[in-house]
Amino acid sequence: MSNNSEIAIEVKNVHKSFKLNSDKPYTLKERLIHSNKNKKEYRQILKGIDIDIMKGESVALIGTNGSGKSTLLKLMTKIIYPTKGKIITRGKLTSLLELGAGFHPDFTGRENIYFNASIFGLNRKDIDARIDKIIEFSELGDLIDTPVRTYSSGMYMRLAFSVAINVDAEILLIDEILAVGDQHFQDKCFAKLEELKANENKTIVIVSHSLDSVKKLCNRAIWIYEGKVAKDGKPKEVIEEYLKVCQ
Amino acid sequence: MGFIGRLYEYRELLKSNVKKDIRGKYKGSFLGVLWSFINPLLTVVVYAIVFPYILRVKQENYLIFLIIGIIPWTFVTSTISYGTTTILGNCDIIKKVYFPREILPISVAVSGLVNFFISCLIIFIFMFFSGVAFTKYIVLLPVVALIQFILLLGIIFITGSVNVYMRDLEYIVNFFVNLLFYATPIIYSVDMFPDQFKWVLYLNPLATIITSYRDILYSGRMPNLTSLLIVGLFSFCVLIIGYLTFRKLEKGFAEEI
Repeated sequence: MSNNSEIAIEVKNVHKSFKLNSDKPYTLKERLIHSNKNKKEYRQILKGIDIDIMKGESVALIGTNGSGKSTLLKLMTKIIYPTKGKIITRGKLTSLLELGAGFHPDFTGRENIYFNASIFGLNRKDIDARIDKIIEFSELGDLIDTPVRTYSSGMYMRLAFSVAINVDAEILLIDEILAVGDQHFQDKCFAKLEELKANENKTIVIVSHSLDSVKKLCNRAIWIYEGKVAKDGKPKEVIEEYLKVCQ
Repeated sequence: MGFIGRLYEYRELLKSNVKKDIRGKYKGSFLGVLWSFINPLLTVVVYAIVFPYILRVKQENYLIFLIIGIIPWTFVTSTISYGTTTILGNCDIIKKVYFPREILPISVAVSGLVNFFISCLIIFIFMFFSGVAFTKYIVLLPVVALIQFILLLGIIFITGSVNVYMRDLEYIVNFFVNLLFYATPIIYSVDMFPDQFKWVLYLNPLATIITSYRDILYSGRMPNLTSLLIVGLFSFCVLIIGYLTFRKLEKGFAEEI
């Protein structure tokens, strides 16, 4: 057993079930009418996952749609909680699940940087110190002082990525975002991730279907299949195995 | 203690969220933030015409009497109605990032409090021009406001989190707030209330709060400290129960909305 403080994310026997949403009673009327005949049905998404992710590792979660990888990532960010089992994370954590989370359309880009970065737990001084870097990375220039609702979706996304990647979190969780933006910005994000990866204290977990970038970026891949870990190891081997099953 | 520590860690989020709540609500309208002061004033104008002239309420300095009731009441209604829907209204950030969820109701209550303190300036201006004397008891104003803040925060911890699971609550709460308006001495004074129903006012903590504001500002006398202390303790209990309810229910927020 290795030293616990070296583990960034500990996933211990995690199970997660979701209520089936077909006719969820939202109102009092529905609740009263369906109170006795509405049997609750659950769908089990994760069935006992055990993973230890060490500090400094960059890990990819791969698998087919609906296999539970995004659920696992959401559990790690503490947006949702496991039905059974436990997840422990050590260090400041940032997630990029879907971009542009929490932007206020009427506020300017600059105001939104403050708002967005404060969601990640930064205080004003920290943000002041980073704001130039964030604006520069986003390549928005003067547009940073216009309301976000006037932005194109690409600009929106660039701003969100710039904030998330510049908050200096120790753990970075990314869900399927390497596929957005134009080629130039994608390359830039990729380079930034490579740079973060080189830093020994940064832990990166990404969910991706882009297997080529997984091979380049990660030093470990975990294949999730029907809510269980199917294979865990070097990206090349795991992906090979995964592709065999897919075909 | 974990509660205070987390709040401190996320103080910047609290600050910018309060700013967003105060400013964002009226963004795009011509008068902007001014609306949060114009609205209660317009209500005051309506009542100041209806009650003395149509319903013949005889109360000395009725305009000041009304303003001192309506402005704290605006703090109640805006906080409760906004606080009940704040979790649902912020569903996109709840689904995408982790942050202490209690920040949302807290910032609604704090922005209500800030608005209230600014609105107090309007009360002072009116008092000045109609010659109502300022007394030393005015130092108690923040104490009463703090008790009101604690009570409201406790209430919206409960209504905000339960509303995620049962969306009727929003409408039920609106109805009760309307009802409460008449069970609180805002447009009338306590002694106008029929004796056989006086118990309603004793059971209503907001009645004590509004009466205390009136004692401090309108009558220039010491409020009833015993009732105020009881209401303070009650509010604190509501806050604790509210917070525990919120903590219990917050784990399911992202899945339910």
